[in-house]
Amino acid sequence: MTETTVILALVVITALGFDFTNGFHDTANAMATSIATNALRPKVAVALSGTLNLIGAFLSVEVALTVTNAVVKIQTSNGAPKESLTADGGEALLLIILAGLVGGIVWNLLTWLLGLPSSSSHALFGGLIGATIAGLGWAGVNWNGDGSKLDGVVGKVILPAVLSPVIAGVVAAVGTWLIYRVTVGVAARFTDNGFRWGQIGSASLVSLAHGTNDAQKTMGVITLALIATGKWTDTTNIPLWVKIACALAIALGTYLGGWRIIRTLGKGLVEIAPPQGLAAESSSAAVILASSHLGFALSTTHVATGSILGSGVGKPGAQVRWRVAGRMVAAWLITLPSAAVVGAVMWYLGDAIGGLGGAIVIFVVLLALAAFMYLRSRRTPVSHHNVNDEWEETPAAPRVPAGTGASS
Amino acid sequence: MNNLGFALEGAWKVLLAGLVLGAGLPLLFALGIRSLAYGAGGDASSATGRPAHPVGTVVAWILFVVVLLGVALGITFIVASGFGKELSFEHIFPTIVDK
Repeated sequence: MTETTVILALVVITALGFDFTNGFHDTANAMATSIATNALRPKVAVALSGTLNLIGAFLSVEVALTVTNAVVKIQTSNGAPKESLTADGGEALLLIILAGLVGGIVWNLLTWLLGLPSSSSHALFGGLIGATIAGLGWAGVNWNGDGSKLDGVVGKVILPAVLSPVIAGVVAAVGTWLIYRVTVGVAARFTDNGFRWGQIGSASLVSLAHGTNDAQKTMGVITLALIATGKWTDTTNIPLWVKIACALAIALGTYLGGWRIIRTLGKGLVEIAPPQGLAAESSSAAVILASSHLGFALSTTHVATGSILGSGVGKPGAQVRWRVAGRMVAAWLITLPSAAVVGAVMWYLGDAIGGLGGAIVIFVVLLALAAFMYLRSRRTPVSHHNVNDEWEETPAAPRVPAGTGASS
Repeated sequence: MNNLGFALEGAWKVLLAGLVLGAGLPLLFALGIRSLAYGAGGDASSATGRPAHPVGTVVAWILFVVVLLGVALGITFIVASGFGKELSFEHIFPTIVDK
């Protein structure tokens, strides 16, 4: 086995790891509302969502090979890697991809630890942008496209991130308001049961759409790495084992469930009732599907959060916890730059050590950080047992004034 | 045209489609629920002691079927785009065509 093959294996494992975090980070987008209203028991909800993600991943046979082109210039327009990057057997390209993926995973895990629903796509793109800036300089990034279509970091990432939550929020608010107007005075045994079914249906649609959208990003990244090292040459197809591995990774991640994020989305923002859940998930499904039909790239996380907020605004008398919403928006704003910083640092680290050693060191750093965050999460575990507990606005951690400890 | 122009152009289309499908279908669903309660009579809706109205039940199920068709359209869209086809609304009635 050559040195490059070992690095390639690390890239594939890391990419599947990212796909896995992508799954559990985004379970909440589809299922938080159904879990919060008890339309589905938590374990059933994640099993349903995982299955639909698995199916969705296989449905997305459309070639996703040019996925990185939206933000960085490491591929040509037909999906083949730039020749200048494969001169040394592909190691230059592999290091950029590896460092970028590590940036994405670290940020996904950190926001999960904090229970914040940040965008996995932004984390991936951020990591890749950072690693590319470190490796190729600022010119390696596709900031603004060429002006002929919506493209580049601004067009594919920043503008949709600003617009999509607002659109989803408006749609959900209108839907919620209409539903409550129409069902005034109808007995609860009709509304609650009916809307629970509507909720399950619409949430399933979101899960399926998520599988088709997000699994292909990782498939594209892995295939790019395979082509760079000469293990695969076809730029119009993705190897079957890559498809199966990615589909399983995202489905398994979804089934594991990011309970901390489900809790924030389902209980933290708004107290959700079944009619609101239906309105929110319908809005998410419609906005996600309409956007991909029109080639308008967006993040399911931003859409889902916007929808849930909208369903709180649209229900007469509902309380929206704007402080929680504010924390989320803050997390969105820093996701891309933060993942970029991690990606860049990882690239410099890997490049300084060089070759196989560099790649292994980055990988070990990733494992260490992941283990640390997992252990940290055990201090305040959130699981399917307590995901629906009453939300208490966490006050700022009680500070013990300095100096009082010794005197008392 | 710059990115902002393209984004705004896409945004209003998404908003429009979102309102029609994402708020319109739930509205039909809610009307169906209301109709179901009206059909059941009794204390199911605010006017107590009303007789049952079978027509309400029928209308309710028609509305539910329309909603299901809307959802089926969504699933068809996902599957079709996955296999390199797309839904065309050229003839108003959705048809599957090659991209």
